[in-house]
Amino acid sequence: MAEYASSDDEERYQYYDDDDDDDDDVDVDGGDGGDEIVSLRSHGCRPAFKIITKESLMAAQEEDLRMVMDVLSLKEHVARTLLIHYRWDAEKLLEVLVEEGKEKLYADVGVTMMEHGKHIMSRFSSVVMCNICIEEVSANEMTTMDCGHFFCNTCWTEHFIVKINDGQSRRIRCMAHQCNAICDEEIVRNLVSARDLNLAVKFDRFLLESYIEDNRKIKWCPSVPHCGNAIRMDDPQFEVECSCGLQFCFSCSSEAHSPCSCQMWEMWAKKCQDESETVNWISVHTKPCPKCRKLVEKNGGCNLVYCICGQTFCWLCGGATGSDHTWTSIAGHSCGRFKDNEKVKVDRAKRETYLVRYLHYYNRYKAHKDSFKLESKLKETMQAKISNLEDKQCICKDFSWVTNGLSRLFRSRQIISYSYPFAYYMFGDLIENDLTKKEKEIKKNLFEDQQQQLEANIEKLSLYIEKPFDQFSNDEFMELRMKIITQSVVVDNLCSKLYECIENELLGSISGETHIIAPYKSKGVEKALELSVCRDMETSNTERNSG
Amino acid sequence: MQASRARLFKEYKEVQREKVADPDIQLACDDTNIFKWTALIKGPSETPYEGGVFQLAFAVPEQYPLQPPQVRFLTKIFHPNVHFKTGEICLDILKNAWSPAWTLQSVCRAIIALMAHPEPDSPLNCDSGNLLRSGDIRGFHSMARMYTRLAAMPKKG
Ligand SMILES: [Zn+2]
Ligand SMILES: [Zn+2]
Ligand SMILES: [Zn+2]
Ligand SMILES: [Zn+2]
Repeated sequence: MAEYASSDDEERYQYYDDDDDDDDDVDVDGGDGGDEIVSLRSHGCRPAFKIITKESLMAAQEEDLRMVMDVLSLKEHVARTLLIHYRWDAEKLLEVLVEEGKEKLYADVGVTMMEHGKHIMSRFSSVVMCNICIEEVSANEMTTMDCGHFFCNTCWTEHFIVKINDGQSRRIRCMAHQCNAICDEEIVRNLVSARDLNLAVKFDRFLLESYIEDNRKIKWCPSVPHCGNAIRMDDPQFEVECSCGLQFCFSCSSEAHSPCSCQMWEMWAKKCQDESETVNWISVHTKPCPKCRKLVEKNGGCNLVYCICGQTFCWLCGGATGSDHTWTSIAGHSCGRFKDNEKVKVDRAKRETYLVRYLHYYNRYKAHKDSFKLESKLKETMQAKISNLEDKQCICKDFSWVTNGLSRLFRSRQIISYSYPFAYYMFGDLIENDLTKKEKEIKKNLFEDQQQQLEANIEKLSLYIEKPFDQFSNDEFMELRMKIITQSVVVDNLCSKLYECIENELLGSISGETHIIAPYKSKGVEKALELSVCRDMETSNTERNSG
Repeated sequence: MQASRARLFKEYKEVQREKVADPDIQLACDDTNIFKWTALIKGPSETPYEGGVFQLAFAVPEQYPLQPPQVRFLTKIFHPNVHFKTGEICLDILKNAWSPAWTLQSVCRAIIALMAHPEPDSPLNCDSGNLLRSGDIRGFHSMARMYTRLAAMPKKG
């Protein structure tokens, strides 16, 4: 149960040294699973994100409750009230306990620890008056709460039903005037289930959900339709992948959007909605071939488009790239760079400038998004290629370089697409006004150089990966394998450099509020792991459920 | 529903007994509807409401006493916690601080207490709240007194 002593506060718990530096273990091989057996007693290797499923929800909650109940020797409902008040941050609760004492802790939460026996009804009288219904009721039809107030079971039951239906399951107070005591959950459960079994179930569900909804460290997975999972975060990292596959930002619950900050992403998402009509008629899903003017649909993940007339051109800017145009030379292709006077004549209306600027970033953002969608389909094609090769007894038995290359491609494609809304705000309204025009220009160029390098190398990786390597000769095959491995490393480094550039050179120049971006992880967005449940926790649950 | 009827019936009987005990409150139940009550309360002494008799209307919900009754002034009153037009009352026990242990009788007592001790920080009547908050007690008193005289006192002649 000492679980809580570790997680966040490493400085204070130096002896868990191996728990630190989760951010730096880039090189640690993803040996998932094996060493991740998390029990309540061994807490050395707790991962940052954990998935809480419908099944593990009870256990996760119980774990926290039990801890507080043990430390303070409290009943479950009191522990729950305390924890809800501290948004299920048990460490915080214990901190207050240690620093300010029990009385202060209880007083803050409004839990009154009344001495027992204060109002205990006379044990000798067999009939007692209930102050709510003003009815004489036999003593065994009465229930006394912890606070000592007693009323008849019918009145209690009615009270509970009203409160549960009101959505107040988390804090059902005693019926007595000005009594702050929280009703014992066991009593609520028993009395309500005698009247309405469904409502008792609902009560339990509300209590369980509080564990997620009132919890500072837990968020529902934002998947639609909802996968049923919630994610618990112990480290302040920002992006996470749920077991349903959805990657999302832990702080704003929208899609994973780094290197955009949450604020930028929110503005961008809203803007894209507002502008979508304008954009729709300008940015069509096809582009005219620069040679034959035939409309060409994007035919692959990479941004080099082939027209049936034989012309190749860049999807991003629509410019012809010529037949002798190779991918190494398109690396110098500078269409990702927006030039303010490129298309905009001085006399154009402001709105038009604004729109052109927006479209510049939007189109590139969108193009990479579309590439991502197309490339997502590569997963299956790739699997087919691999099994093809396995049948052929290929010289190479290990295909991790394909899968690694593919996930590198996916991740970097996401990053490059979000780098456009980032740039839109960074070099638009957000940049500090004190900077001289020249300083701004330098920063912008620095960023755009990084961005273009990354962009070109992503296209290169995409091109390699789409090659029909299952048809290749051994030599060709080994050569491509090497290329993909190298290219993956190049892309990884460039992503990391882009984030570095943003964090070190750019975010500081944003005026006003602080923008934080999720750190770049070489491994990709952190996958949340299933919360494993301790064995005796499981048994205690089953006992409870059957009882 | 049955429970609320039973309880209201008990309160009714209780009221008959207590009439003598509390001369400041006169609770009466509608002849045809046990969920509709009215009360006449006397303005507390040493307040601008002294000498006035104020009528309250109670609408009791079916889930009474688990949920509070709705109470409003039928008599016009100038008071920071009473809506000047509708007579609605801003009183915590009629909202989140309600406890089923309260009765209509004790609600009346709480309202009398509120008349004696207004809470200018949660005003339903902004004018009167502002007068009190700005420290213009005299201004508040004269307004409250005027309305008491106009609305809550038997007309002479
Ligand atoms: Zn109590
Ligand atoms: Zn009762
Ligand atoms: Zn999910
Ligand atoms: Zn976010």
